[in-house]
Amino acid sequence: MALAVLFRLIFTALALAIILVSARILQILPPRKPPVPRKRSSPTTLMIVLGSGGHTAEMLAMLKDLDPTLYTRRIWVVGEDDWLSKKRAVEFEQRLEEKMRAGGAGKDGSAVKADNMRTRQELRPNTGSNSYTIAEVPRARRIHQPLYTTPFSALLCLWACVKLLMAPPGVGHTKQPLSLQSKSKFSKPSTYPDLIITNGPATATILIIATCMLRFFNARQADTQGKMRTIYVESWARVKRLSLSGKLLVGVVDRFVVQWPSLDGVGGRGEYLGVLV
Amino acid sequence: MSSVSKPTKVCFVTIGATASFDALIQACFQPDFIVALAAANYTDLLVQYGRDGQRLFEELSSRQELKSIVTRGFDFNSKGLGEEMRAAKGTKEKGRESAEGVVLSHAGSGSILDALRIGVPLIVVPNPSLLDDHQTELAEALQEQGYVVHGRLRWVPSTFAFLILLIGRSNLPAAIAESEELRKRQQAWPPINSGVHRRAQGLAGIMDEEMGFLD
Repeated sequence: MALAVLFRLIFTALALAIILVSARILQILPPRKPPVPRKRSSPTTLMIVLGSGGHTAEMLAMLKDLDPTLYTRRIWVVGEDDWLSKKRAVEFEQRLEEKMRAGGAGKDGSAVKADNMRTRQELRPNTGSNSYTIAEVPRARRIHQPLYTTPFSALLCLWACVKLLMAPPGVGHTKQPLSLQSKSKFSKPSTYPDLIITNGPATATILIIATCMLRFFNARQADTQGKMRTIYVESWARVKRLSLSGKLLVGVVDRFVVQWPSLDGVGGRGEYLGVLV
Repeated sequence: MSSVSKPTKVCFVTIGATASFDALIQACFQPDFIVALAAANYTDLLVQYGRDGQRLFEELSSRQELKSIVTRGFDFNSKGLGEEMRAAKGTKEKGRESAEGVVLSHAGSGSILDALRIGVPLIVVPNPSLLDDHQTELAEALQEQGYVVHGRLRWVPSTFAFLILLIGRSNLPAAIAESEELRKRQQAWPPINSGVHRRAQGLAGIMDEEMGFLD
């Protein structure tokens, strides 16, 4: 008798836990609350996840008009042995710096467009080596790595991603807008990136999962602060069918962008904006 | 006929940085392909053969007998392949004039985008040894839109795959002729967003929305 009661108790507790966890997961999945409104002059952190080869080339192409007056700090995430992507990211930042210097000449050093005249005093492009960081994470799976060890390397990657999101290098001193400052003295002010953009290497999938975990537990107000919004851009190489990363993330990220009309509306979420690369 | 009187015309073959693609290197040394190059007045065959392709390239290159085509090769260029693609694009600069050639590329998106931006005629060859055939999808879609010529290593409809052994040959010699046609109607990349590309905001607009910028 007692044993039956015990079993029933355990069963009830288990069922309750499952219901609560699923409810929480549903809660953090999109649609999320609309983003916290902010001024264009406020400091922002953009995290860009690079893959290798084509992924990196596409990402840099679609960010070529990136405005460093709006995205004042960039964190580039690369695989730890991916020296080529690292090099490309540094070159991108150097070009950005040159472009801003050239464009700002004669306009008192600021590269602000005419329609922003109102706020021109506040808007300054933030470029140069203090405005960006290259962060390395271990690869989720190396080329030719056997399948049975992949879960372990993926876990290592996940752990590195969580650490990276909680304490992005070189971002600690960014001042928070007053409305976002932590009110409780028990929780440290968060330094989560405001926006994460990726186009589907395996590392990015793990990083997005890491953001979900942090939001699930609302670690350092990961969820309530409304930070770490995510944009996934499916690779231009995908014409009719999503990649594996795309299939996994279509119901998870905040915005899901595709580059071929045949994928418009995919998964009820795909947004086709024309070719971006 | 000496090669001095003819302007340089480069066919640049690239297999990309990620995977090896021996079948493409082999196809570029098939006698009928070399003959097609010569017929289209090519003078140079430049091959980026990747990390593992050197031995194959050197062997094939030494057996290449047609002297009007000069073959050169290199493994990889960490600065990107812009320089080689511009060599294929040709130049009108005085003293170094060269005719516009062609780029023959694996179907990786990075290489395709490089060539489209430079505006050199492009033949895209999907790697059939990759399990997932998304490369073929991209090549077909781009050919449909008139941006590239879709090169096939073995022209066999998939239903008759058993015929590969009998008639398995690449369409690359024909693709060289087609690329001469492509040259005449070359379109600029990227395409102008209009009509169905109804939202002009692009990625920057989506990013701004997600950031919640007020003004």
